[in-house]
Amino acid sequence: MTEQGHESGIAGHLHYWTLHLSDSNPFLQIHLDTMLLTIVIAAAMVWFSKRLGAQLTSGAPTGAQNFVESIIEFVNQTVSDNFPSKNPLIAPLALTIFVFVFLCNTMDILPAFLMGHIASLFGIPHFRPVPTNDLNLPAAMAVSVFAMVLYYEFKLKPVHFCKELLFEPFTNLVPAPLKPIVMPINLILKIVEELAKPLSLAFRLFGNMFAGEVIFLLIAFLLLGGGTIGMISGFFVGLGWSMFHLFIGLLQAFIFMILTIVYLSIAHQAPEH
Amino acid sequence: MSIDLTFIGQIVVFLTLVWLMKKHLYGPMNELMEARSRKIAEGLAAAEAGQDAKARAEAEVEKQLAKARRDAQAILSKAESRAAEINEEAVHKARSDAEQIIAAGKEEIEAAVERARQELRSEVASIALSAAEQIVQAELDAKRHTALIESIIEREYQQA
Repeated sequence: MTEQGHESGIAGHLHYWTLHLSDSNPFLQIHLDTMLLTIVIAAAMVWFSKRLGAQLTSGAPTGAQNFVESIIEFVNQTVSDNFPSKNPLIAPLALTIFVFVFLCNTMDILPAFLMGHIASLFGIPHFRPVPTNDLNLPAAMAVSVFAMVLYYEFKLKPVHFCKELLFEPFTNLVPAPLKPIVMPINLILKIVEELAKPLSLAFRLFGNMFAGEVIFLLIAFLLLGGGTIGMISGFFVGLGWSMFHLFIGLLQAFIFMILTIVYLSIAHQAPEH
Repeated sequence: MSIDLTFIGQIVVFLTLVWLMKKHLYGPMNELMEARSRKIAEGLAAAEAGQDAKARAEAEVEKQLAKARRDAQAILSKAESRAAEINEEAVHKARSDAEQIIAAGKEEIEAAVERARQELRSEVASIALSAAEQIVQAELDAKRHTALIESIIEREYQQA
């Protein structure tokens, strides 16, 4: 049932280790590499959390506790700066997004073909090492965040949200007889505006990480094929790009986290009268 | 690039991870950090209160020291004044005693002189008698001898 890709070049390395459940329906397939890596990263995070949780000290923190506390403090500060309301879910959600996305992005600093080669030893034809390069993960997180935004919009200010969808900004600008005509247009535009939030959230992360991986593959293809000099220069160029991409991964994790906080903050804002 | 069942699986993984991270990491650590922050705030407040108490105690000590200095100064002044009084009294008494002693000494001297005069008179009288006896025995020339006796008495008296 797994796909056996035989394409060469960069495109050959952009295939997923896929389990097809149906040949006719492309939705009925699972990217096993993405699932495996996200589950492994998530399990590692939970294991680390439980292990750290068992060793917590109320005195002066040291080592791992000190490091994690500084991350939590950073997230708490970001949340308190951007989220004026009280919601005990926002900070842990932001922390999880930041750490999870960063760890997934960091997988990209592994040598470009390493995971693929290791996987091939076990008879696996393709293996993508970076889960955020698979649109399914950024989209799943973005849609989850969007669902929360909609939940809080409808829970905290249902009438205001519906009025906003129907009247803001165009319907309120036209005379009363034209309102029924403009209202559907306004609604469509507002739906597009709302849908743009999860789409931009997902594609920003996916696009950045995908482009980073393609550049890694290009560096590898262009320089590793150039003999000894090519290998040496490829090593240094790849190392430089790895450092830069590590920073990009951190930046993307932060952007995803802060946009999540901002979208949820907007959903929590009291309507203006 | 496709959306498939992985998307559903990722939603499950992501939401489960959020729940587990809240339960095992964020919840306990945030609670711990808040407790520590409270403790630090309490400690700082206590330190501040301690500083205030120390400042108040130092002010009180300073006040008490100033009062003690003032009291000591007053006691010292009083003692000096009393000492001067005592000294004055002592000098006064000594002068008075000395005067009394001098007066008593003078009286005594005068008494002694008087006694000496009396003794001298009686001695002179006896000498005179003795001289008279001798003169009478030698020649009895009353006029001449009376003058002699008086001159002897006069001389003896002045010598005494």
